[in-house]
Amino acid sequence: MLNYVIKRLLLMVPTFAAISLVIFVVLNFAPGTPGAQMSTGEAGGQDASTAGEQRESYRIFKEQFNLDKPVLFNTRYDLGQPEIETELKAILNESGDVPPARRIEAQEDIENWGRYAVPGLIGVLSDTSATPKMRALASQRLTFNAQKQNKNIYKKDLTDAERAEIKSIAKANSKVRNWSFKADATPEEMTSVTTTWHRWQESTAEDWHYSFGERVEIFLFDTRFSKYWGNLARLNFGVSHVDKRPVLKKVLSKLKYSITLSFSSVLIIYAISLPLGIWSSIRQNTMADRVVTTVLFMMYSLPSFFVAVFLLNLLTRGTPLQVFPTSGFESLDTSQMTLLEYLKDVGWHITLPIFCGSYAALAALSRYARSGLLDVIRSDYVRTARAKGLPESVVILKHAARNGMIPILTLLASLLPTLIGGSVIIEVVFGIPGMGSFLFESINLRDYNAVMAVLLISSALTLVGMLISDLSYALVDPRITFE
Amino acid sequence: MSQPLLPDVAPPEDQTFGDIVWIQFKKNRVAYCSLWGLSSLFLLATIAPLIASGRPFTWNIGEGTRYPWFSGLFDRNYFENPVDIFFNMLLLAIVPLMAAALFRYRQIKKMGLDKRPRRAKIGREIRLTAVLFFALFACVLFNPHSEPYTQYADIAEQRLAEDKPVDAVFTPVRYIFRKTGFKSLERPSAQHWLGVDESTRDVAVRILYGTRISLTIGIIAVAIYVTIGVILGALAGFYSGKVDILIQRLIEIVMSIPALIIILVLVAFLEKPSIFHIMLVIGLVRWTGVARLVRGEFYRLRGQDFVTSAVALGFPPRKVIFHHILPNAMGPVLVAATFGVAGAILLESSLSFLGLGDLSAPSWGQTLSEGYSSGAWHLILAPGFAIFITVSLLNLVGEGLRDALDPKMRK
Repeated sequence: MLNYVIKRLLLMVPTFAAISLVIFVVLNFAPGTPGAQMSTGEAGGQDASTAGEQRESYRIFKEQFNLDKPVLFNTRYDLGQPEIETELKAILNESGDVPPARRIEAQEDIENWGRYAVPGLIGVLSDTSATPKMRALASQRLTFNAQKQNKNIYKKDLTDAERAEIKSIAKANSKVRNWSFKADATPEEMTSVTTTWHRWQESTAEDWHYSFGERVEIFLFDTRFSKYWGNLARLNFGVSHVDKRPVLKKVLSKLKYSITLSFSSVLIIYAISLPLGIWSSIRQNTMADRVVTTVLFMMYSLPSFFVAVFLLNLLTRGTPLQVFPTSGFESLDTSQMTLLEYLKDVGWHITLPIFCGSYAALAALSRYARSGLLDVIRSDYVRTARAKGLPESVVILKHAARNGMIPILTLLASLLPTLIGGSVIIEVVFGIPGMGSFLFESINLRDYNAVMAVLLISSALTLVGMLISDLSYALVDPRITFE
Repeated sequence: MSQPLLPDVAPPEDQTFGDIVWIQFKKNRVAYCSLWGLSSLFLLATIAPLIASGRPFTWNIGEGTRYPWFSGLFDRNYFENPVDIFFNMLLLAIVPLMAAALFRYRQIKKMGLDKRPRRAKIGREIRLTAVLFFALFACVLFNPHSEPYTQYADIAEQRLAEDKPVDAVFTPVRYIFRKTGFKSLERPSAQHWLGVDESTRDVAVRILYGTRISLTIGIIAVAIYVTIGVILGALAGFYSGKVDILIQRLIEIVMSIPALIIILVLVAFLEKPSIFHIMLVIGLVRWTGVARLVRGEFYRLRGQDFVTSAVALGFPPRKVIFHHILPNAMGPVLVAATFGVAGAILLESSLSFLGLGDLSAPSWGQTLSEGYSSGAWHLILAPGFAIFITVSLLNLVGEGLRDALDPKMRK
C-alpha cells in the first residue's frame, strides 16, 4: 500500500510538469498579449515624448514579467545583422507597403531581443552602405537595447553588494543612453558615435561571445517557461499583472469564500442524496419512487445558470419577492455583529448560491445511490441476510447500503478540485468574491499569472483527488489490492 | 445465414444486435417519444427560414418577379454563419431527398436481396448521398454568394403607405434574428410571441434560429471528441504496452486540467471566437472520457475468440481494430455521445451566458444573459426552457439507449 502511494506520488511529478507545460503553452501561444493596451501609446503619436515614455514603461513591464522572452526555447544568441536589418526596414517602412501590424511586430521584436540584438545593431550602425535613416534608427535602438537589466530594483532588503551593483549598472546605462544621432546628422557626427559604440563593444567584449555552455544555458533557461518554473519551485506564483500584488496571496484571500460555499454544498449534497437514493430504491417502481425519480431527472437537466438567474429574479430583486440579498457573501458592514449574527448573515447570503450550486450534483448523486443500491439488493448475500431473519432496516443499511455506496463515497474525492475552483458561473451570478469570480476577472483582464496559478492549483488538486479516490476504493473494498 | 440448415424448417428470424437494441429502445415509451421530440427540434431548426425570413418568396414592384427568399438561403451577406447555410441547403434538399429515398427503397426491396446485404446496400447509398451533400455544401461554402442587404419588409410598407403596388408573398414572420429596432424589453404580445430583448430584437425568432446553433455545436463538438477518443482509446486498448502507457499519461494530463476553466480561458483569449472555435475547443478538451471507455471495451474484447481468429487470419491491425472490435465497442460510446451532446449544449450556453461566445450567432445563453442584466422575465424563461427541453430530451434518449444496450434490463 505504502509502496503504491509512493509510486503514485512520484509519477505525479512528471505528470504535473507536463500539465504545467501544456497550460503554459496554451496560455502563452493564445492570441492577445497582456498589457497590450499599454503598447498602443505608439499608435496615437501626437505627443512623441509621452508616447516614448509609454513605450518604455511597456518595455519595463514586459521585462518584469519575462514576456520579452521566447516561450520555450531561446535561439537569440544567433541573431545576426541580417535579421536586425529586416526588422529595422519594416519599422522604417521606406517603401511604404509594410502593413501596420507588421511594423508593430517588428518594433516588439527588436525590443524583446534586448541585448541579444546589440552586435547586429552595431553592425547595421557601422554599415556605411545603409541609409542614414537606418543608421540613425539603429543608433537610437542601441541606446535602449544596450542597457543592462537591473534585476533587483524592486527587491526590498538589499545587501551592500547588490546596491553597488544596481548603481554601477544604472551608471553604465545612463552613459549608453546618450550615444545616438538623428537621420539628418553630419557624417562626422555619425562616425564619432559609431566609433564610441565600437570602443564600448570592445570594452564589453566578453558579453557578446557565447561559449557552447552559455548557448545551451540560454537556449533552455533564458525562456519564459523556465523562468516561471524557477519561481514556481519556490512556490512563487508571481505577481498579478493588474495590481502587482502576489498572486498566491490574492488566491488565498479568495479561498475563504469558495471553501465555505463548496464545503456546505458537499455536506448538503451527501446528507440529502444518500438517504433519498436508498429511500427510493427500496420503494422501486412505486408511485413515490417514480415521482422522485422524475423530479430528480428534471433537476439534473435544468441548467444551473438558468435556475440561478431565475431564483435571483424571483427572490431577490423585488419582482415579485425580496427575501434574499441580491449579491455578495456578507453584508457591507459586519463589524458590529456578534459571531452568531455574522453566521446568520452569511448563511442568509449564501442560501441561494448553495442551492443553485448543489441541486444538480444532488440529483446526480441520488440517482447513483439508487442504482448502486439496486445493483446489490438482489445479490445472494442480501438474500442470505434476509433469510437468517435480520430486520429489514439492518439488511438495507448494514448489508446492502455499505456495498452499494462504494462508488458514491469515492466520488467525494473528485469534488476536491471544485472546492477550490468553485463554480465560476454561480459565483459570477451571485457576486460572490471567491475563486470563480477571481478567475473570471483574471481571464477578462488577461492576468496570465493569476489564471496560470488557479489552473495549476486546481490541476494539482485533481491529481491528488484521483489518488485519494483510488485509495479509498481499496480502503472500503477489501477485494481491491495494489499488489 | 441465408441458407436454412434444414430445407423444410422456416428460416429463423435474422436479428442483428442493432435490431435487438432498437426493439428494446422502442419499448421504452418515454425515450422513444423523446427521440421523436428531438427529430422535431431538428426539423424546426431546418425549416426556420420558412417561418421567419426577411425575404419574401416572390417580390414584384413593377420590375418583374424576383424570388429573394430562395437566393437569400445562400446569401453570405444575409446568413453569415456557415451553420445557417448548411441548414438552408438541408431545407431545400429535404423534400426531394425523402421522395428519392422512398422510391429507391421500394426498388431495392424488389431486388429480393436478403436482409443483411440489403441493409449494406442501403447503408452504402446513404453514405454516398451524405458525401455528395457535404461536397455540395463545401462548394457553396467556398464560393460565397452575396447580395446587397435589402429591407424588403420596410420597402413594402413604405410603398403601401405611398399607395404604390407591391406584389409580394412573405413568410409568416417578416424578419430574421438579426433584425433590430423593436421596442426594447417589450413583453410578449401577438406580434412578438416571446417579447423583445434588450438590444431590440425579437426573442422568438432568436430562439428559433438558436436551435440551429445549439444542435450544431452539440453534435460537431461531440463528433470531434468521439473521433479523438475512439482512435486513442482503441490504440491504447489494442496495443497495450508502451502505447497504452503513453496514451494513459496523456489522458491523465488532459483529465487533470479542469475542463470548464481551460475552455473558458481558451475561448476568452481568442480574439474573435466563432462557434467553430467553440466546437473545436470543447472537442479538444473533453475526449478523455470516451478514450477511457473505448480503452476499457477494447481490453474486454481483445482476448475474445473472434479477435483471435481475425488476427490469425492475417488481417492488418487497422482492419481488426476498426472492422472487428470497434463495432462491438460502439454501444457505450453512443450512450456517452448522446449525454455528451447535452453537455456540450449546456457548455456553449454557459459560455455565451458569460459573454464569451460568438456574439454574432443567436445563442440561447446570450438571451439569458440579457435576462440576467435586465431582470425581464420573458428573457429568462424563454431561453431557459429552450435549453431545458433540448437537454432533457437528449438525456432521456441517452438513458433509453443505455437501458436498451444493457442485457440485464431486457425482458
